[in-house]
Amino acid sequence: MRGLRVIDVSIVTGALLGLGGVLLVSAGNPVNSGICVSCFMENIAGSLQLHDDLRMSYIRPELIGFILGSFLVATKSGRFQVRGGSSPLIRFFMGFFIIVGCAVFIGCPIKMILRLAAGDLTAIAATVGLMFGIWLGVRYIKGGFALDQEKELPQINGFVIPLVALILLIFVFLSPSFVKTGQKGPAAWHAPIFISLFTGLAIGAFAQRSGLCITGGIRNFFLAREKTLLNGVITAFLSALILSVVLGQFRWGMTAQPASHLNHGWTFLAMVLVGIASVLIDGCPFRQLIKAGQGDVDAGVTTLGMLAGGGLVYSWVLRSTSAGPTFEGKIVVLLGLIFALVVAVAFRKRKLSIQEI
Amino acid sequence: MDWLDKLSIAAIAGIAVITIGMLANQELMQRGRDNPGEEAKAKESSYALQMEENERLFKGARTLEEQGLYKEAVAQVEDIMKSYPEKSVPYVYLGRLHFKEGKLGESIINYRQAVEMEPDYVDERTPRFIGDEIKGIVEEGREKFGREKELKPEDKEVREALKDIYYLQSRLAGGCE
Repeated sequence: MRGLRVIDVSIVTGALLGLGGVLLVSAGNPVNSGICVSCFMENIAGSLQLHDDLRMSYIRPELIGFILGSFLVATKSGRFQVRGGSSPLIRFFMGFFIIVGCAVFIGCPIKMILRLAAGDLTAIAATVGLMFGIWLGVRYIKGGFALDQEKELPQINGFVIPLVALILLIFVFLSPSFVKTGQKGPAAWHAPIFISLFTGLAIGAFAQRSGLCITGGIRNFFLAREKTLLNGVITAFLSALILSVVLGQFRWGMTAQPASHLNHGWTFLAMVLVGIASVLIDGCPFRQLIKAGQGDVDAGVTTLGMLAGGGLVYSWVLRSTSAGPTFEGKIVVLLGLIFALVVAVAFRKRKLSIQEI
Repeated sequence: MDWLDKLSIAAIAGIAVITIGMLANQELMQRGRDNPGEEAKAKESSYALQMEENERLFKGARTLEEQGLYKEAVAQVEDIMKSYPEKSVPYVYLGRLHFKEGKLGESIINYRQAVEMEPDYVDERTPRFIGDEIKGIVEEGREKFGREKELKPEDKEVREALKDIYYLQSRLAGGCE
């Protein structure tokens, strides 16, 4: 019975993600980008002047909602557990590289699902890449990989990221002059603030209960044939697909897809990076935000790495456009893969042979 | 709670009040300086100035275009381009002129260049939006080069033209870019 309840929450979270992602587009978010953690991180970084592309500068209330929704449910249900101290710098850089990988594909794993559900066939290479990256990460886990053991930390540590989210929310309503908001480009495409915020809060709350994670769902299946979270991921895809068709957002094809490119090889590699890095730090970009909201300080550090990545992908042009990935973007994807593999190898706890003992 | 705690809490509260006060004061002053109405007016007048400058620069080319002298008009626009390499408008003109000349491939290359330099051309929320014009040309190009690709699948020029078309189609579709 308890297992069934967990499955239900995972499916509900998946349905909220899928339906929310499509409905937010109808409400004003950019096409195929109803929910995209990496794009929205870039938007927030821009609004905080971490990059100067005004077209990508807007504080997205959805991400604030994810963190605060998770925080509120975690504190109310006694699940707010402040832990951390597990390889913080490595997690920071993993967060950075994950955003670069997402920027080269043009979307996080959630957007990958939404793009696929909207008929964008260029997301197939991303899906294969993400799954391969996760499979690779699982190989390392089975081979003894584990980052340092986290430990319990003083409560105040867990409040930092929710407080930052709260301050960002205040910025959304007060729009102080040092917060930039683009009036054209993707920044100008956004749903009304309350719709974005409540959607984010609802998804964040359910995601805290279910632990839904796009990469985690696939990882658990590869690792132990465990399908609870995977059911949520599949539900997200199916619900987004059905609603896309119903609302006329579905456009089947490889070309003429919004914010996409045809460099499938780099899409594949970029998502391999996202997949393996997410497995190594235990969670996709979305899951990192949820964990940061429930007191996980390590996830908070990763979130800051993702925010830094959101700024630098624009300042250093580490991303793709419809013309394909930039040279700089390709190089940093490769560096990210090297970094992830070095970490994976360095943190393996190998079984000692009798001679070594 | 000992005296040090009490003192610390009082200090935190005091500093917080001062910080919020300073921020509010700065914000009010800033808003007074950045009158949004004035800013919008300044933007509008800057846009009008640019339009005026474009009107002046391309007057001759447009006259030639009206007379059907497309080759001469192209030459004139290319001259302007040399003097104003930072401007995206000449690419739009070249796109239009090449289209009228029947050079669909060259027209598409120029529209792509224009959009890469100035994304507002495909942003329907800006006054520069010419998405419908580009869409028509792209659709025609897709049909033509799609046919040609079937006939000459290895032709490099055809493949390049299709790449430009796909780029423009993707930009016209919108999304987070």
